[in-house]
Amino acid sequence: MKVRITNGLLIALLINMVYAKAIGMTQGIMAREVQGDMWLATIFSTLQGILVIWLVAKTMQRLPRMNIIEHHEHLFGKWAGKIVALLCLLFFLGAYGGVMITLVYHLMDYFLPEVPILVFVVAGTLVGLYALYFGLEVIGRLAFVGLFAVAALNILILLGSMHDFDVRELLPLFQSGWINTLLASRHNDTDWGMATITAAMIFNHVKNSDVWTRSGTLGILYGGLTVVLWPILEAGVMSPEVTSQYIVACMQLARTAEIGQFIHRYELIMVIFFSVSALVQVMMSLFCGSLAATHLFGLKDYRPMIIPICLLFGAFAYWVVLDHHRAMYLLSDRWPPFALSIAVGLPVLTFLLGFLRRKKWQPKKASEEQ
Amino acid sequence: MNNRRRWLLATLILALTLTTGCLGKREIDDLAMVMAVGLDPGDQPGHIRITAQIARPADVRGQTGAPTAGSGSPIWTVSGEGASIMEAIRSIARFSSRRVFWAHNQIVIINEKLARHGISEIVDFFSRNHELRMRTWMVVCSEDARQLVSLKTGLEVIPGVSLDKVFRYSQIVSEAPRTDMRTLSASYTSTSTHPVLARMRTRDKLINDGDKTDFGAKEQVELSGTAVFKRDKMVGWLSMEESRGLIWFVEPVESRVIVLPCPDDESRPTSLEVKSNKFEVTPHYEKGRISFDVQLDAKIDIVEIGCLTERSHSELMPQLEALADKQLAHEIQAVLKAAQKTYGVDCLELGKTFRNRYPAEWQRVSAQWGELFQNIEVRVHVRTDINSPVLLQKPMQPGK
Repeated sequence: MKVRITNGLLIALLINMVYAKAIGMTQGIMAREVQGDMWLATIFSTLQGILVIWLVAKTMQRLPRMNIIEHHEHLFGKWAGKIVALLCLLFFLGAYGGVMITLVYHLMDYFLPEVPILVFVVAGTLVGLYALYFGLEVIGRLAFVGLFAVAALNILILLGSMHDFDVRELLPLFQSGWINTLLASRHNDTDWGMATITAAMIFNHVKNSDVWTRSGTLGILYGGLTVVLWPILEAGVMSPEVTSQYIVACMQLARTAEIGQFIHRYELIMVIFFSVSALVQVMMSLFCGSLAATHLFGLKDYRPMIIPICLLFGAFAYWVVLDHHRAMYLLSDRWPPFALSIAVGLPVLTFLLGFLRRKKWQPKKASEEQ
Repeated sequence: MNNRRRWLLATLILALTLTTGCLGKREIDDLAMVMAVGLDPGDQPGHIRITAQIARPADVRGQTGAPTAGSGSPIWTVSGEGASIMEAIRSIARFSSRRVFWAHNQIVIINEKLARHGISEIVDFFSRNHELRMRTWMVVCSEDARQLVSLKTGLEVIPGVSLDKVFRYSQIVSEAPRTDMRTLSASYTSTSTHPVLARMRTRDKLINDGDKTDFGAKEQVELSGTAVFKRDKMVGWLSMEESRGLIWFVEPVESRVIVLPCPDDESRPTSLEVKSNKFEVTPHYEKGRISFDVQLDAKIDIVEIGCLTERSHSELMPQLEALADKQLAHEIQAVLKAAQKTYGVDCLELGKTFRNRYPAEWQRVSAQWGELFQNIEVRVHVRTDINSPVLLQKPMQPGK
């Protein structure tokens, strides 16, 4: 029997898929481009994400029992499905690199600089591998716990930063120009892009297809709202110039935060909450990668692909994070055009091309059936 | 046990060995916890000397006040020299039995000569240090920094903690800006504002009760004044009066004392306390001319009238308000003169204020802001309002 999750768990998964990398790495990248307008770029990006997830949900509602790969296979044949499967596999391979950059650099650079990178990559991948065997529903429930972690983290950073917040650092609005701000939003687009393609892969596991558009848009909206707090605080507390100096800007904000004199150093508590979201991203990247590989190789179940995918993704992630300079170059220069061409291009293409094969998904009229 | 469970068990055991968290561990008794650090020019040209105040846990008193072990000093102050900060720190490892740990460092004290030479190395090093927090206080001193670092100052057992608390509670004094790594990084990387750092110096403030002839021999450390920087090099000091004027611009002022001559006897003092205030800087741009209006509205209380007077509070208040207006305006004008004329650096965030209000105009003037700033007109308006005479209906007078 196919696993079915509720729309609530879908929302939780989408929020977690957006959150960790968006606050960890993306804000520093955007600050280097548009300085104090990074929070405006995040808002622009969230609005774009809402549009795309709506499109994805609408498309998947045509054939609610199929994921995007099966969708193409049904409409355009086996090889079309395999091409889409390959694209999705490559997408999640790249996404996994970004997720691991986030996880490894948060933990290694700030807490355990002497631990070999391999330990972080292997530990993260093994946790993901373990979760994969239990399936989507278990990951969804962890994502639900992750919602509380996200809320706790946001509350903690607010409590520790508000007393130093200076709204003048956010001014003037659109200091980099609105076009540059819009262009900079492409970095945050890659974060909700992970969520939308994940949704395209798992919508067929979600109950009650009538409300997919609502739950998808709510997931991206809430994800964006939880993220936008961070660039606002980073600019207001540290200043946009200082935020742009750092690779992991959110950790620098966390190290600046203090609650009174008794709890004046609590970034270790915060990183625990952060890690829940990061691990959900790890798990879902591996899960969707395994699904894509299953379709690519024509298998029935994703479980035989778990270990090969974990090995492939783990090796790639290790290569990426080994060199900070290469990692940031790939993340800021190479990843956005590749990710967005799939995250936006694939749903749009599926939606439009679906009209060419309308008969295959439109419900038959009662008179035709008679 | 079937194959799947065997694989799962093997995976779990492998995961356990990798997730125990022992890699990169450092036991607490392997750490030399730095509580304060001082930076001076080294004995060799181009070298830097670093002096670290390290806590000695065995000699820090317990809650009962009794030493827990030994009767030595609670701190161990050591010095190392090198061509760079990192080399100087590593030179300490040659004789330190523990590894230097920065996470508890409260304060970084920079010697004036080093500050005048440039602090880019210091800012870069401490920004990259993942142990040091951005809450670490940053100060400049005119004496040797190692002298301040090695002083047993303050009420606390560990002097570094004393220095931290001097800063934390300096809000009620407001005579030196509360500069930490966060504020220094922000002003250092700013495109318009130049950094300032608080000044620390030694003063003979401690009275030794045990030896009456030893009065003033034990020096204490106090905050007094400000160091002004142009980009990364220190260019001069701001006096106490100028520092009091500066603080309005760079941070919120919670409270401070205004000491005035008593209206009825100028040789005696009157003290007023600022309880709340609103400070606003408004830029103007008219016909290519930039100007600013500085408006300070303060609510103050009378906390001390040191002279004999027959007059009531309501009769004294208007006079005291006028004197307070004049004093506060004078302090602000003093710092404006220092910033514009003496040093020619915008350490008052006027450029940032202008940029926020006139972003398009800022694009045109930003490249010449350093020169323009020196001749900008700044109008100062101060309005104080005495709210309360605090407990007393009328000034205390002798009955006879």
